[in-house]
Order: sequence, then structure tokens, then C-alpha cells
Amino acid sequence: MTLTEPAVADSEAAPAAPSEVPALAQPFVTSDSATVGRLFVVVSLLLGLGTSVVGALLSLGRTEVVDPADMFGGLNAYFRMWTLYRVSFMLLVVLPLLLGVAMAVVPQQVGAGNLAFPRAALASFWSWLIGALIVVVSVLAGGGWGAVDGVTGNESDAMALTLLGTAMVIVALLVGAVSVATTVISLRRSGMSLLEVPPFAWSMLVAAAAWLFTLPVAIANIVVIYADLRGRPAIAFGRAESPDIWLQLDWLVEQPAVYLMAVPVLGIAFEAVAAATGSRSSRPEAVTVIVGLFGLLAVGGWSQDYFTAPQDLRDGLVYVAFGLAATVPVAALAGGAAELVLRGPKSLDRLLDPRMVGAGAALKLLGAAALVGALRVIEPFDLLDTAATWAVFHGVVAAGLVAGVVALMTWPQRLSIRPVPAMVGRGTVLLMGAGASLLVLSDLISGFMSDARDLMALALDANVVLNVVNLVGALLLAAGLAGTAAALRPAPARSEAA
Amino acid sequence: MFTTGFKFFFGLSAAFCAAALVYGYTTGGDHVGPLSLGWKGGVGDHIGYGLLVALAAASLTISLVLVSFRDADAAAQARLQGLSEVMNDQPVAASFWPVVASFGVGAAALGLVLHPAVFVLGLALIVLSLVEWTMDAWADRATGDTSANRELRNRIMAPIEIPVIGALAVGVVVLAASRILLTVSQLEAVTVAGVVSALILGGAWLYVARPGIGRRLVRVGGVVAALLLLAGGVLAAVAGERDFHHHDETHHEESGEPAGGDHGG
Repeated sequence: MTLTEPAVADSEAAPAAPSEVPALAQPFVTSDSATVGRLFVVVSLLLGLGTSVVGALLSLGRTEVVDPADMFGGLNAYFRMWTLYRVSFMLLVVLPLLLGVAMAVVPQQVGAGNLAFPRAALASFWSWLIGALIVVVSVLAGGGWGAVDGVTGNESDAMALTLLGTAMVIVALLVGAVSVATTVISLRRSGMSLLEVPPFAWSMLVAAAAWLFTLPVAIANIVVIYADLRGRPAIAFGRAESPDIWLQLDWLVEQPAVYLMAVPVLGIAFEAVAAATGSRSSRPEAVTVIVGLFGLLAVGGWSQDYFTAPQDLRDGLVYVAFGLAATVPVAALAGGAAELVLRGPKSLDRLLDPRMVGAGAALKLLGAAALVGALRVIEPFDLLDTAATWAVFHGVVAAGLVAGVVALMTWPQRLSIRPVPAMVGRGTVLLMGAGASLLVLSDLISGFMSDARDLMALALDANVVLNVVNLVGALLLAAGLAGTAAALRPAPARSEAA
Repeated sequence: MFTTGFKFFFGLSAAFCAAALVYGYTTGGDHVGPLSLGWKGGVGDHIGYGLLVALAAASLTISLVLVSFRDADAAAQARLQGLSEVMNDQPVAASFWPVVASFGVGAAALGLVLHPAVFVLGLALIVLSLVEWTMDAWADRATGDTSANRELRNRIMAPIEIPVIGALAVGVVVLAASRILLTVSQLEAVTVAGVVSALILGGAWLYVARPGIGRRLVRVGGVVAALLLLAGGVLAAVAGERDFHHHDETHHEESGEPAGGDHGG
């Protein structure tokens, strides 16, 4: 890797101007990266709470207590919520949560006063929020990403809105990611090479690059679907018939693109362990390489199956190699974190530090997800297109959520929030970790048990124990998120603190 | 070689071109119409397509101007001023234009599905915020003094903003008030107009008679009145106008001809 000097002589980015704006108006006009980051964090956590409640209802639908179709008002409605749950966790919860943390933390880590494009960052938050509202409202109004038993005229309009909202959310996230990546590339302190950038800032640079290589492919997919849905039949690409819409976009929440959510997790976990133990890695450049490798394996635009038959793609050597290789960087980084623990002072307090507990939980969940992902691509297990797909998804999502909470505990000052009490932090992290473990486990066993392809796992109604385990997992995850949201408090104003 | 300004506007031009194509094909365009600017085949919705193509052309022109004159090129400006370093430590002023741009994008997305007028409104908001945003970004780095920068920006933009905002405000007031007066009954319309006129007169008298009234109170009162007017206008527009007895109907009735009949033969 070559050393890159800052593009400007003074590596301090333009700081926010002294504000004369009332506090209530700040979210609408601020050019302060920490404020924008905090907005992302708070709203994504609230959306995460809502999404996890939807997840619990979906799990309830898999038990024999209620018929899933009856609970949501029909199979189409169930399918809408099922897809919303997946897209929402990725685009409305985990990615914005980690992006928000990055906006607040990365500029200070690299010695910049502010983000490279502070106004673009504000625009990215509001565009993301408006896009998210369009997505949620249009799904509730009968839209979504396809329907199981046909699309009516009104649903077609609502689906078009869902697609446009999804594209808006993705573009907004990309604008924010570009802002963070440009800060790392161009506004580093003089003399700081890319190899010396702290692990979290580096992981965000890698993540932003992976997002930029992958998410525009999803936008292109959406444009094609939108043209099919709204254009004249003469220009239709012939695949807008429901539920093909979802089949053109599901690659985004499956391997390898699902790992897009996990790249910053490595950086956060490593820094949290370093902060908790007070020790430094003997091979910091190894962390750089490991995170870079994981970012490379998360680039997933090639795995969209619009132009290739899905089965050809997923039986291909590249798909299998990516699935197997993803375990390597996660295991390597866990080894690096273990080295930090061994080098640091060994006391029970340090080991029970909520940051340490959280980082450990995030890495374990990510490791479990990568392991299931590796099993999934091994052909004899026949796990493709089974619920095992969602074991990987749940593991990665939970790792992202736990890493977000760990970041709140590691950098509370930069996010201008009060430090989360140790007991609360430990409790929420353990709740989320336990819940996600149950989800991963039940999904994996479901995958092994299913004879036919059954992504929605509806055919497993008879397996009461497994479905109840899944429901308990979803409830614990929701409880952990609720605890985190409840523990968030703004930092006292300077005068108040004094 | 290529300045930042050129890259931005050239990229913007490409994005508008792509948007025009997608918009053209998804609003009824066929064959190579949207690709050939309507030379062969239809372009779909003319207004939206035309606006997007115009924006693409304008962005392309601006990008060429910027690369020709090296504007917004910090390194070139530093060389011109004989500085050895590029200074980039100016504070970034608070601005609500990013939020306006976001709402513009949201309105354009909604308009694509709901109504072309909403789409055009979204585009207008995007263009407006792009112009203002560009001016804000330029003013942030015009001098080293924040207040001087703000003054410089206002000196250029205020002569444009104030008349435009004034015209828009008058338009909104006229539109909203007319909707309200056309919805309620004739007697109620006269009553509403009388009461509102009296309130305005009373408020103005109070302000003149007691100059000590806080500016904040006046501002809050103005905002509340504007919101009430806007909400009333929207509700009235949704409810629709009251039934009118038109003069021509009376005339037709008097002359024995059927009202609204087809006279075209």
C-alpha cells in the first residue's frame, strides 16, 4: 500500500461555523458532523426497534399460535412484512447506524475538524429519512418488493414508490459513505499514512469502497424493475411479474453482499478491545490487511442474478470460494483481539468491561454467521435457498447492532451522549447476543431440516420447539434494542456540565 | 487537469441525462424517442423530460465554463495569489438548503408515481437548492472572515431571493385565501374576510401604538397566522368549492336553452 499525503496542506477540514441557530433548528441546518452522526444513530436505533418488533411478529407467525397469513391480513401482506424486515434491517438500521457512528468519530480519529462534505452529510441524513418513510408507508399501503399471488393496479403504484424509496435510501447512504471515505483519504493529519489510520476509520474507508462497488448495482436493478413496472410493454425486460421483483433484489441481503454490514464491525470490535485492555497490537498493519480482505469479500454486486441463472451463479467456484474465505478474516481479527487481551492486564474488571463483552459478542456472532455461510455454500449440505440463508443474515445484522452499541460505549463524547452505564451496556449487549444466537441456531437447524426450498420457512409450522426458539430469539433482540434506545441520553450542555 | 467544479457539474449532467432517459421510458416514451430527444418516437411526459434534458444541458455548459476558467480550483487560486499552500480551514456555515434538496428529491420520487406536477415541484426544489448550495459553498471560502462571507453572499443573493420569496408568499396567500373564501358559504366568506381584515388592522395598530411589543411575539404571531392560512387553504382545496349559480346558467334558463349543452353541433 502506498503512502498517501493529504491533498491539502492544512489537513484540518472546515469546522462547523459557530452556531447562532436555535437548538430545535439544528437538525435542519447543522454542518457539524457529530450532530449529523447522532441523528443517524438515534433514528436508526428507533427504526431498529420497529423492525425487531416486525421480526418478532413474523416469528410468532411461524409458530402454531397464529396463522401468518391471518395475522397480517393475507399471504401477500405477510410477504411484504417478511421482505420489509430484511431490507429494513440492512438499509434502515445497521448501515445507517454504523455510518452515523463513523460520521461522528472518523473526523476526529484522522485529525480533521469536520467531515469532507458536511452539507452533503446532512443531505444524506434527510434523504435517507425521507426515503425510509416512503419505503415504510408504501409497504404498509400495499407496495413492497413483489407479491406472492399477483399485483393489482393500486399495489403497482405502491410498489413503484417502494422501489423509488429504496433507491433514495441507497443513494443517501452512498453520499454519506463518500463523505466519510473522502475525509479519511484527503483530510488526514499531515504525516499520517493510510497504514497509520485507526482501525475503525480504516474499516469505514474499506466499507465505503465496498458499498460503492455493490450498492449501485442494486440501484441499477431497481431502475430495470421500475422500467418493467411502469414502462410500456415494448420496453419491458419481462421480469416484473410478481414475485420476481424480490428475486431480483434478494442478493442484497444474502452472501456475499450481506457482509457489507459487517466490515465496520471489525474496526469497532478491535478498537473497543484495545480501549478496554489499554494495550496495542504488535502488528497493526495486519489489522489493515485483514479488514481490507474482508471488505473485498463483501463486494457483492457480481452476485446479483439478473443476467445469470441463480443456480449457475451459486454453484460457481467464485461463490463457493467467497463463502468459504469469509471465515478467514473474521477468525484472524478475533485472533488479533485475543492477542490484545493477552497483552493487557488480566483482571476480571477488564474482562467484564461492557466494551469487551460487546466486542466479543459481535465477533462471535460474525464468526458464527461466516461459519454458517461457509456451510451454506458446501453443496452436499444443500443449504442454499433454505432458512440457513437467514442464519447468516441474522448473525451479521446482530453483529452490526452489537458493534453499534459498543461504539456508543467506546466514543460517547464524540457522539455527544452520556456514557451508557456499564450494567445497562452489558445487559443490552448480552440480550442482543443471546437473541441473535437463538435466531442463528433455529434458522440453521431449519435449513438442515427442510426438504424443499422454503425461504420463508412457512413449511416448518409443525416444528413447535424450533419456532418457539426463533420467537424467543426475536424477542430478546427486540428487548436489547429497546434497552439501548432507552439508555441513550444527550450529553449535558457545557454550562450545565460545568 | 479537471477541476472539482467540472467533475461535479459533469457528473450532474450525466445523472440528469440518465434520469431523463428513465423518466422518458417510464412515462410513455417508446422506440428511441427518449434517446433521440424525440426525433424518432415519443419521449413520454414532455414537461418532466424537457426539464431534465435542460438541466443536463445547463450542467454540461457550466462544467465546460468551470474547466475553461479554472473556477473552484483551490490550487489554481492559490497559485494566482502567490500562496505556497492551499488554505482550506474556513468554517462551514449552517444552511437549510441540503434539507430542501432532500425534500426536493423526495417530492420528485413521489411525483413520479402520484402526479407530474409534484415531480416538477420536486425538480424545482432541487434546482433551487443546488443554486443556493453552490452560492453558500462559494461564500464560505470567499474571504477569511465569516461575517464578511455572509454579507457577500447576501449582497449577491438577496436581490434575487427577496423578490422571489415575496412573489411566492403573495401567491400562496392569494391561493390559500381564495380557496377558503370559495369553500365556505357566501355569508361566511364575508364574515371571514371581515374578521381577518379587522385582526390585521388591530394587530398593525397595536404594533404601532406599542412599539415595545417583542419582535419575537410578532414573529411567532406571523408564523402561526401563516400556518393557519396554509392549513385552511389545503383543507379548503381538499373540500372543494361551494356550489355556484353561474350567470350563464341563469341566462340559459331565462332564454329556455339547456345549460352546458353541446353547441358545437
